[in-house]
Amino acid sequence: MTWWSTLFAVSPLVVVALGALLLMLAEALGRPAPAADGAVVTDVGSGRAGELGIGSAVVLFAGGVFALSLWMVGPEALPGAEGLAPYFIVDRFSAFFGVMLCLGGGLSALLGGGYLDEHGIDRSEFFPLLLWATLGAMALAGAGDLLTLFVALETMSIGVYAMVGLRRNGRAIEAALKYFLLGGFAGALTLFGAALLYGATGHTDLAGIGASVGTIGQPGSTVPAGLVLVAMALVVSGLLFKVAAVPFHMWTPDAYEGAPTPATTFMAVAVKCAAFAILLRVLFGAFADERVASWGTGWPPVLAVLAVATMTVGNLIAGRQESVKRMLAYSSIAHAGYALLGVVAAMRSGMGQASVLFYLLAYTVSTVGAFGALILCGRRGAEAVSYEDLAGIGRRHPVVALAFSLFLVSLAGIPATAGFFGKLGVFLAAIDAELYVLAVVGLLNSFLGAYYYLRVLVYMYMREPSPNAPRAVPMRSGQVGVAIAVAALLVVWWGLFPLSIGADVTAAGSAPMAR
Amino acid sequence: MSLVAHYLPLLLVFLVAAAICATFWLGGALVGRKNPTAEKLMPYECGNDTEGGRGIRLHVKFYLTAILFVVFDVEAVFIYPWAVLFKGLGWVGFASMSAFIVALLVALIYVWKKGALEWET
Amino acid sequence: MTPLGSALVGLWPYVAAFLVGWFVPRRQGWAERLGVATSALLGVVLIVGLWPVAPAAGVGDDKPGEWPHLLNLLVFLPIVGALGVLFLPRQAPKVLRAVTLAILAGDFVVSLWLLGVPMTTGWHFQYIATWIPAFGIRYHVAVDGISLWLVLLTTLTTPIAAYVSFGSIRRRTKELCFAILLLQGAMLGAFVALDLFLFYVFWELLLVPMFIIIGVWGGVERIKASYKFFLYTMAGSVLMLAAILYLVWVHTDLVGYPTFDYLALSRLSLPRVAAALCFYAFALAFMVKVPMFPLHTWLPDAHVEAPTGGSIILAAVLLKLGTYGYLRFCMGMFGGAAWQSGATLAGIAIGLGILYGALVAWKQADIKRLVAYSSVAHMGFAMLGLFAGTRAGVEGSVLTMVNHGISTGALFLLVGVIYDRRHTREVREFGGLAKVMPVYATIFVIMTLSSIGVPGTNGFVGELMVITGTYVSQSLGGFAKVQAVLAALGVILAAVYMLSVVERMFFGPLTNRANRRLPDLSPREVIALAPLVVLVFVIGLFPNIFIARMRPSVNALLEDYEQSWKAHSEMPDHGQARMRAQPEGPRRKGYPEPPPPRAEPPGAEAGREVARLPTEEDVP
Repeated sequence: MTWWSTLFAVSPLVVVALGALLLMLAEALGRPAPAADGAVVTDVGSGRAGELGIGSAVVLFAGGVFALSLWMVGPEALPGAEGLAPYFIVDRFSAFFGVMLCLGGGLSALLGGGYLDEHGIDRSEFFPLLLWATLGAMALAGAGDLLTLFVALETMSIGVYAMVGLRRNGRAIEAALKYFLLGGFAGALTLFGAALLYGATGHTDLAGIGASVGTIGQPGSTVPAGLVLVAMALVVSGLLFKVAAVPFHMWTPDAYEGAPTPATTFMAVAVKCAAFAILLRVLFGAFADERVASWGTGWPPVLAVLAVATMTVGNLIAGRQESVKRMLAYSSIAHAGYALLGVVAAMRSGMGQASVLFYLLAYTVSTVGAFGALILCGRRGAEAVSYEDLAGIGRRHPVVALAFSLFLVSLAGIPATAGFFGKLGVFLAAIDAELYVLAVVGLLNSFLGAYYYLRVLVYMYMREPSPNAPRAVPMRSGQVGVAIAVAALLVVWWGLFPLSIGADVTAAGSAPMAR
Repeated sequence: MSLVAHYLPLLLVFLVAAAICATFWLGGALVGRKNPTAEKLMPYECGNDTEGGRGIRLHVKFYLTAILFVVFDVEAVFIYPWAVLFKGLGWVGFASMSAFIVALLVALIYVWKKGALEWET
Repeated sequence: MTPLGSALVGLWPYVAAFLVGWFVPRRQGWAERLGVATSALLGVVLIVGLWPVAPAAGVGDDKPGEWPHLLNLLVFLPIVGALGVLFLPRQAPKVLRAVTLAILAGDFVVSLWLLGVPMTTGWHFQYIATWIPAFGIRYHVAVDGISLWLVLLTTLTTPIAAYVSFGSIRRRTKELCFAILLLQGAMLGAFVALDLFLFYVFWELLLVPMFIIIGVWGGVERIKASYKFFLYTMAGSVLMLAAILYLVWVHTDLVGYPTFDYLALSRLSLPRVAAALCFYAFALAFMVKVPMFPLHTWLPDAHVEAPTGGSIILAAVLLKLGTYGYLRFCMGMFGGAAWQSGATLAGIAIGLGILYGALVAWKQADIKRLVAYSSVAHMGFAMLGLFAGTRAGVEGSVLTMVNHGISTGALFLLVGVIYDRRHTREVREFGGLAKVMPVYATIFVIMTLSSIGVPGTNGFVGELMVITGTYVSQSLGGFAKVQAVLAALGVILAAVYMLSVVERMFFGPLTNRANRRLPDLSPREVIALAPLVVLVFVIGLFPNIFIARMRPSVNALLEDYEQSWKAHSEMPDHGQARMRAQPEGPRRKGYPEPPPPRAEPPGAEAGREVARLPTEEDVP
């Protein structure tokens, strides 16, 4: 009996893993498609990006449905769920992230199905990689132990390193290499921090570490405070690298630009969200004690400074980009800053964690939509990359332009979109935590951000392409279209009725962080 | 204080090990008789004359094979402790290991079909 | 007397007006004479129909005849229409235009219903629905005697602007229809919203269509102008959002449940420093919109670059959102801080708004830029009346908002007319136009007189009331009288620059050869201008129609303003906020009640301090 409930508790991961295995078999055993005209790669299983994209999306959405049903049953009601702790924690938090990551991953897979086919780089290993990386991300969101944390982190990362380099031209290789080396370095930092933590406290599970940290300074405690602080800094730095917070953001623009756009989407969405999930778990599971988490000492002041730096630097540099893809990369840095603001606020405000969760959800659908619209604006050999490429799209492809505008407006945080409520929640949490200055800085930053999002609108609607310039012709793809439609629906739905899921977010955000 | 006390034995082991290494190495270098000839200074390559530069490239296939070897070899590492505890683990243990092996099997099929095992291409 | 005879006697004002209208323009053809006569007739209908009647006994709280969904219809008809337009074929611009105009006209007709009920104290046509209960956000709309006029101004001027735009803009009609309809819905929503969150949503929503209108159909520098418009406004509004969130948080802390409702948040009495900061956060957002010096620099660019229709909407309605916002939210919610800052801000409004605006307008060679700067000066009057905080001042200010909408809207329309014909707006290009375009010249002169504030026109009433209100103001302190005199100087300056431009454009010899054969106003343009001309005189001669309807609301607002100032002066600089007494009678209707206690989700509010309920001592 317990056995079945345990299986149900991990069913989202199991479904994704089984789906990934089946997809690999189908890809390997399936008949190779005839080489399309001008296809760069003719491997076994290539030329099937369309089918594989749909297949992976189905798998991931199925995983999402299982996570959702897990949510509805309520993980706390499952007798077998406890058995996996602390290696994998099944609670509302991980179920929520299960849904979010499956949604982001599934939509990225749909984008991949359309994009890889169109651009003749349909190396079919993209999809298994994406599925395994999503699995790693889901496991990361549920990790309650430093060992699972590291394994899940690497499972997620290795898949993404390969996805970045998929195109195999100079740019892509540079991107993949940068991401790989810096990512490896960050992973090493995390691991080193984990080792020090084990040395200092004798625990690898977050709850145990939290309990040990709580004894610092009490008589009879053998936990060295300095070592814990160093270890915390190392672990958190490694995770901040994954969320692309300043000053660990240097890899982001190159990696995002060099990667094929669906991989960029996946990095911006799933990797970042999973990293935030584990960041929250580590900070509030292991380092929630007053001695390392107050406004006077510990991580909150440091993270507050980093949050401000992240959003400001991200926004300022994004405004100076000539490539839309690079702009979106920097804007994703800025968004990490806003979410970090929520993390800091969660130190003192009960609504902080929930605000981060909703922010990430809104960010996920808006970002997927924005990258999807960007994909749809280009065609083989004429990918839409720069602002100039978008000139006149408002006339040549009004539906895409409208959708693109919607997503950008949502990213800019203008009302009646999901993004606005994401920002609202974070700032409300900051005010609730009495961090007024941070709230005002964040609001001013959202004003800064409006500039470059508007610039896309200006090019789409108000500029015409210069007569001799090569103009990007919009492509047609049912899969990308579906992904955009789903994202747009969610952006508007959560923009009008954000609290249709509000209680769920709150419940997820208030889950105890460690067992 | 406690930290230093805790790791002091380890440090001592390191120091002793380093000292022994240094003794043998320095001893050989200082005491030993040296009679260098041209033959003796040649790079040692199994009795053959050396050819080519140092920076030759190995074919990427070697790396692939090496990686595949590592991946599938880990299998044994996992199976060994499982086999030791097999009786206590019961059907759950059997199912878990079956799932693991099936996953590896799928990976093997994948690698095979993708042509990674073919040397001549 | 027979029934027919009595009917004829009862009809005499209409007949007289028609006859006067028929015979006064003697030299014109019958079509023009019929037009003028009909306009005169309509004017009388308007006056008689709108004559304020004392509410009958028994009409009070239950407000019969108020259909609760009227405002919903008003706001969402254009918004749904905008979405509907998206599904119409792009190849049929005529259908698109017709549908847009029909929706806007329907909206106008619906809005006339607002005049059918007596505007007693309190909220009318109120509609409340829960929207996001966890944050206490409600969909709460209502009008009172102040927002009533701005709603009507919007529903009147937007169709005119659309009608004019359709005459001159021929490309990308679909986008234009979409933008205008969305803009209309957002503006109306902002005027009727009584939930701060709802207000903020509409306030931000209207930026996007206006941004597109300026940026797509504007002049050469349109992109820069549209950026400026968007970013200035957005900069102001993010600070406002911060202040709103702070207020909600304080309210939650004090009373125990969150709400974004105006009625509840306006009861907050913050410690003085916090109140001043919040006041300036709101005021900045509104002053950018008004615009007040030194935040006005987006306005000339936006006006000059915007297409005619865009300029009309911008001048007639969008700027009013700033003054309306100041009146409703700054004075209504931070009465104390507003009172305290009134004198300083009034000085800025006079010196750098009215006088500086007038002087800069004087030096303009471009007519549109001149009208734009005259806007700065006129809006200075509207703000001055609010800063004065007296009954005459506030009433005059609301009236000035309406007047400015009518006369400046009409002036932009007229400038657009000449620009369509000559593709230049330089004053020196023209001269002696009265000879070739007599109707045009006549209407231009009427609007100029209205803009200057000649007695008998609408401008006179509004500015006179503002100056009177300033003179007797308590809150402006010792400088009130000086300021009133300086403001009056602004009226004179307005006469100088407007009349000199009229003189140079319309009179004297017809020097420029290119102007010889300019056609006079087209029927489309006359139809668009006629209602505005009629209104100039209706307001100018019978201002009581308007003032009587706004008086109860203004009185109630000012009473609260004074109480708020008293409460404010007793507050410490830092410390605990308080709730003032809730309003009484009809003005309290719709006050957000505490939510029913519900089961907390496990651990949701864990560790949070239990909010303190207000005690007797909290209520003064």
